[in-house]
Amino acid sequence: MTSTEAPAAVPAKTSSAGRKPDTKREVNAFSSLAHIALFVWALATAGPLIWVVLSSFKNNTEIFLGQPFGLPSSFSFQSYLDAWTTAHVGQYFLNSVFVVVLSTAGTMLLGSMAAYVLARYRFPGNRAIYYLFVSGLAFPTFMALVPLFFILKSFGLINTFTGLILVYIAYSLPFTVFFMAAFFKTLPMEIEEAATMDGASHTRKFFQIMVPMAKSGLVSITIFNIVGQWNQYLLPVAIMQGAGADSKWVLTQGIANISTSAGYQAQWSTLFAALTLSILPMIIVYAIFQRQIQAGLTAGAVK
Amino acid sequence: MSVASPSAPARPTPPGPPAPGAHVRRKRRSSTSSGLVPYALALPALFLLFALLGYPMVRMVVLSFQNMRLRELFAGLTPPWVGLDNYTKVLTDSVFWTVALRTTVFTVVSVALTVTIGLAVAMLMRRVAPSIRIAMIVVMMFVWAMPQLVATQIFRWLVDADFGVINYLLTLIGLDYESHSWFAEPLEGWAVITSLVVWAGIPFIAITLNAGLTQVPKELIEAATVDGASPWQAFRNITLPILKQLIVIVTTLSAIWNFGLFTQPWVIRDGRPSSDYQTLATYAYSTAFKTNNYSLGSAISVITVILLAAVMVFYIRQMFKIGDVD
Repeated sequence: MTSTEAPAAVPAKTSSAGRKPDTKREVNAFSSLAHIALFVWALATAGPLIWVVLSSFKNNTEIFLGQPFGLPSSFSFQSYLDAWTTAHVGQYFLNSVFVVVLSTAGTMLLGSMAAYVLARYRFPGNRAIYYLFVSGLAFPTFMALVPLFFILKSFGLINTFTGLILVYIAYSLPFTVFFMAAFFKTLPMEIEEAATMDGASHTRKFFQIMVPMAKSGLVSITIFNIVGQWNQYLLPVAIMQGAGADSKWVLTQGIANISTSAGYQAQWSTLFAALTLSILPMIIVYAIFQRQIQAGLTAGAVK
Repeated sequence: MSVASPSAPARPTPPGPPAPGAHVRRKRRSSTSSGLVPYALALPALFLLFALLGYPMVRMVVLSFQNMRLRELFAGLTPPWVGLDNYTKVLTDSVFWTVALRTTVFTVVSVALTVTIGLAVAMLMRRVAPSIRIAMIVVMMFVWAMPQLVATQIFRWLVDADFGVINYLLTLIGLDYESHSWFAEPLEGWAVITSLVVWAGIPFIAITLNAGLTQVPKELIEAATVDGASPWQAFRNITLPILKQLIVIVTTLSAIWNFGLFTQPWVIRDGRPSSDYQTLATYAYSTAFKTNNYSLGSAISVITVILLAAVMVFYIRQMFKIGDVD
């Protein structure tokens, strides 16, 4: 991005002192426009979310009462309890957490090691391997299902968390490597060279120097992977099948199961509670990493 | 990679002139290990990629030249080779071309909308107070983090003919939308699906572009305004050029994702999308798994990937180049 910074420096010197009241009014007109835009945006983005959360507190009759934005008669957590125990959402929720924690950790470890090497070392086949990773971005997941199923089956990995985790890692690698390689390239070489002179091993250089330096990039890609893997539906449907599979389902499968089980007879309030629960971990992740997400996104953006 | 990477001089015979500085000392250690270390670090990732992504991809291509039916699948027989039969069958089928055209139109419209609105939201985020900006980001994180399946369920309920909020609101303002079915007319149905995809796609783009916008120096815009540039000129000549690379990346990614649209039409139509709601992805999947014509399905997927690559070649190259920073 050095090229874009260059023109910035030149005209920035022009003084911005002579601001007239005229511009001020223009800014005001703009900000009222901005307020309208903000309102429309909030309605469109948050509206459906609010509706889901409201519905999750209602009982089935209230949902069909024809007052979608009416408040529930009482804020009961009954539907959450139903969802957690009767619909086994609790089990699926924990399964999802377990799988996503391990697979994201695996993705980040393997992906950043590969990206580091591809970005920082020159060796025969470097470019070929890089393009191999990146071409995975355009691969349609759904078509891999049949061959994937047979590969996993021959290793006895169908209907196991290990199988699911390995598949998640493989499918998250292309984007991770693409992004992290670009990120590693922007880090200064000097510190690494100094470490090499002091006799640091390659692994030590990677874990103790490069990883801390790339922290913001790592965090934003970690979030990206958590979100992506938490959202998977097609892959677990293909992999978690067979005897006793329903105790190993992940959350998305559980939700799909609630909604397909029985048309209008189903416990829709349970579905809405489950929908709300599925978003919950993201808030927690966001709350924990808020600052790093901001920094990471910015850093990633300028490379 | 214009700067010699640290490992380069450590190869057995360092080519070219020795770099200045401490390279002599560096050469002394580990002239053997460094040759293999890069491979060792990349190997685990490569292995997984080959086994779980590369191999299925190869199988898919091989399968498209065979004729695999249910019998071969269960008996584990090698299906008969049929050469290009599957491809001629697909390419001469008018249904395929209709679906391909529909997918392309959808992709163009949805990506254009997502990127434009996403950029607008990102600009809006720069204008509001920091506290509101954080609130916006949090809400968008919600939407972004929502599984496609969940978002689709929500939209399905929003437009439900009898109990949907949309019909309720439209009836409330005096329009005749009581028990209106949104999927009877494909164009309306696609409007719903497009809104869903755009709605879910905006957060990623807005948050990324907002990060990019923080790189646009305020003084620059101010200076331009003082010099008499209209807001539009300032946007076109200052903001856009700075954001260009980011926009290329998010556009390319959105196009790749939307071209492979599967979950939304699939779930919103209850896993049985009628021919009006097929995309290339659902069409390939239905062909392979519903009619057990695995080879034909594979051929459709291969063609899908090729089509995507052909249409996107310019952008994908741009994206690769950006990833390749020198």
